[in-house]
Amino acid sequence: MLVAVVSVSSLVFAAIDEGPALTNADRAYEIAKDFACPVCQGQSVAESDVVVSRNIRRQIRVWVDEGRSDGFIREQLVATFGEDIDYTPATEGITSLVWIVPVVASAVALSGLTLVFRRWRLEGELEASEDDEAVVARVRDGQR
Amino acid sequence: MRRDTPRTAVWVVVPIAVALALLVGLLATRDPSSDRAVNGMAVGRVAPLTEGADLDGIWFDLDQHRGQWALVNFFSTTCVPCIDEHPELVRFSERHRAIGDALVVSVAFDDSVANVKAFFAENGGDWPVLTEGVGSLAVAYGVTAVPESYLVAPSGVVAAKLVGGVNADDLDQRIETLLAGVQQ
Amino acid sequence: MSNVSLGTMAVSVGVAAAIAGLLVVAAGLAGRRSRWASEARLLVFVMMGAALAAFVVMERALITRDFTVAFVAEHGSSRTPALFNVATLWSALEGSILLWTLILCGYVVAVVVKFRHQAEDRMVGWVLLTLFVVSLFFFLLMLGPADPFIRFDPPVGYDGPGPNPLLQNHILMAFHPPVLYLGYVGFTVPFAFAIGALVTGRVGEGWLLATRRWTVMAWGFLTLGIVLGAWWSYETLGWGGYWAWDPVENASFLPWLTGTAFIHSVMVQERRGMLRVWNLSLVIATFSLTILGTFITRSGVLQSVHAFVESGIGPAILGFFALIVIVSLSLIAWRGDALRSPGRIDSPVSREGAFLANNVLFAVFAFVVLLGTVFPLIVEAIDGRTIAVGNPYFERMTMPVGFVLLFLMAVAPVLPWRKASGEVLSTRLLGPAVIAAVTMVVALLLGARGWSPLLAFGLGGFSGGSALRQVALASRRQGWRGLVGRTNGGMIVHFGVVLIAVAFAASHSYVRQGEFTMVPGDRVEISGHSLSYEGSQLEEHSNRVQRSARVLVDDVKVYEPGIATYPFAGQTIGIPSVRSTWRDDIALSVLQFPEGGNDEVVLRATVQPLIVWLWIGGLVMAFGTVLAVVPGRRRDPLLPASAKVGARTATKPQPESGEDSDAS
Repeated sequence: MLVAVVSVSSLVFAAIDEGPALTNADRAYEIAKDFACPVCQGQSVAESDVVVSRNIRRQIRVWVDEGRSDGFIREQLVATFGEDIDYTPATEGITSLVWIVPVVASAVALSGLTLVFRRWRLEGELEASEDDEAVVARVRDGQR
Repeated sequence: MRRDTPRTAVWVVVPIAVALALLVGLLATRDPSSDRAVNGMAVGRVAPLTEGADLDGIWFDLDQHRGQWALVNFFSTTCVPCIDEHPELVRFSERHRAIGDALVVSVAFDDSVANVKAFFAENGGDWPVLTEGVGSLAVAYGVTAVPESYLVAPSGVVAAKLVGGVNADDLDQRIETLLAGVQQ
Repeated sequence: MSNVSLGTMAVSVGVAAAIAGLLVVAAGLAGRRSRWASEARLLVFVMMGAALAAFVVMERALITRDFTVAFVAEHGSSRTPALFNVATLWSALEGSILLWTLILCGYVVAVVVKFRHQAEDRMVGWVLLTLFVVSLFFFLLMLGPADPFIRFDPPVGYDGPGPNPLLQNHILMAFHPPVLYLGYVGFTVPFAFAIGALVTGRVGEGWLLATRRWTVMAWGFLTLGIVLGAWWSYETLGWGGYWAWDPVENASFLPWLTGTAFIHSVMVQERRGMLRVWNLSLVIATFSLTILGTFITRSGVLQSVHAFVESGIGPAILGFFALIVIVSLSLIAWRGDALRSPGRIDSPVSREGAFLANNVLFAVFAFVVLLGTVFPLIVEAIDGRTIAVGNPYFERMTMPVGFVLLFLMAVAPVLPWRKASGEVLSTRLLGPAVIAAVTMVVALLLGARGWSPLLAFGLGGFSGGSALRQVALASRRQGWRGLVGRTNGGMIVHFGVVLIAVAFAASHSYVRQGEFTMVPGDRVEISGHSLSYEGSQLEEHSNRVQRSARVLVDDVKVYEPGIATYPFAGQTIGIPSVRSTWRDDIALSVLQFPEGGNDEVVLRATVQPLIVWLWIGGLVMAFGTVLAVVPGRRRDPLLPASAKVGARTATKPQPESGEDSDAS
């Protein structure tokens, strides 16, 4: 009981007190991580060393310093470099499937499992089948 | 109970097989990622605000050149294709200087002013070159690598994006085609 | 004779041996050949000899810089340091297929040696047949689309460009690919047994017992290979990261997920005889995913930082993948229902219930990763748009699954088989729960904020405590043997997982990055560390020209990140430098040395806590795997599961059922 209280309260505390606020540099970095470098193979703007990424990073920093919202920055970057630099698939249109399908699949899997368990329980206690007894008998024979 | 219905396995296998067949079909028909087209998002839009001091400290603003074709050329002094395309830029610039219907403006990408000056002294060309704060300009155009050039129509709209070096004749050709398109 | 002819000859012998083996085993299974088993064994040794010969020839060509071999001419160079000369073999496509084939043949030899006494068994026959087919495929790749032995006519004074610079600047590159391949290829053996079981209809527990250790070993190698790969990319790419949900990383992660699911669910089958078809499917899925992963790595269809070996063998591998899928699915459809086991799970709150939940979660995890990886291709095929799916998607989708898995990792080991009462659970989980609470409070005091990292630390403490409890109980009962065997070794693996989970959560949540333009004498602060730039210097090496910045970190030690140009490969890459302590890492990389004559540098520093624990966690996982394959205490099959073992437990309260280590 005490353990639960301590755990939950520390979680709540950590959730409420987010710690020192993000500096502009940190926020710019967080944003840059979510965009693909337009010319590299599979590195983000934050990670890549090429000039384009460096320019984009600086630009993001300028926008952050201007107090622009994440949404604004996203719009600007997608408008100039295309949708394929945004690592977060859109939640509308066909790309929303990538978000929905796994959730639906897990829900189906879960309800399937629940159903199976319910059916198992309704069938009552499992009794040892003949196979089981035969196995046990064999093992016992083998031991002697 | 599921085991009483002897076809469970088939029912499970068939949808998985269909999904996997689609996956294989998908993977088999995709081109290698390296062959995919370059992004040309800027094309068809009004050119971003293109202004700044050139090498001589004279203020340049693309908007003041509405009514002329403009070739906004992003380059760097160390890139080989940039050096290769430079004579073509010189040719294009000289050809149109007299008529006054087109101009070139270069944007030095990630370079020092001294290097750029030396580059122009060696390779010719006397059009405006922007060097300060060009990072955000490059981002605004969507430049991904040098050399990259944007052909801006007299209306101020980006008409074409040219990647990896230009050719003076090809540029004239494009302008003619675009003009013909407008006149029709 | 030249290396090219020798190598081609070796590959041809390999092809011939694989075909002959295939025919001999097929004839034997059809009852047309009586001495097929010994003949097949001989052919396996011939095949192994051929692969080894081809490998040795290629290494000789690389070490002696024999540029008449096109592979050496394209990827070797006289300037590459000796060790990397050896490793050049797996830095490019043809050589990596050669390494793959060699490892595969090694596994096949191990199978025929291990099962020499059951060689006449039909099941072993089908296993061999499958192994011959897979080997034949790889030998054929080397004869056709990935021929490593093509003749080249080098001009006088020719020198090769050397391997990709990124692949020749870190020692880990010498280990990461072979270890990863040992993992990938190792799954071929359980796959062959699964096919054999399906064909012969003997899907009882026999084949499982036969392949259990093979699977665990392959899994261990795969784990280590993935961790080494993350380490390599952290140390060499200079991006401050180690895992980016990149398609190639995902490709190695997918079989790991299904393999992990299998390792857990297989215990349900051993213990309760259930989930037979499911287990077969998992083994088959794991192997298929290794092949699919190879396709993703090699075909260049998906963008990746790791896709160094783009080539034209994509269609062949995809075709092979399709073949595996067709054969396996048909077998399952044909045999599946007849093979289903009659057992059932009594209660969801039981060991087997937890394993089932674990499997569902791993399956969902794998599905999310696979979907996210191929989704851009799906969208492109449907409406021509190009989109990207990256970090934010994978993190958001897999984080909940990860949390539940961590929770399960704490609960499952203390759950008895069949059915658990709430009382048993709360008694057994009290200790781990206290550890969890203490962990969270300590983390808070140390300044950790944000609910998700804290939850990760708490759950880490919970499952770590649970594993600790299990190991402590087992070693109190059995002495040193309490550390070996599958269950106990598995708990050590769990420790490794906890370390990685905690380090992952910490480094992801508290990463700080800064980019600084500095001239000599400048000093900056980042996350409580100071960086002073002292100047740069130019060094010339045999294979590169490197300019390094001297950066004094925390006024203690100078680190020298730099930029290197490999003139012959025509590439410039960053050479990062990392200061590691058990507490946090500072990864330094030079983005640029701007021209201008005042020795300016653009430096990037990434500070992340607990990074080292990722690598330690990986090593602990590998170590735990080793312990898990050491045979544990043999349990007397006659004793009920709750029986006391050894005298020392007699003084203790009744040991709970289901806590005994499973004999392995």
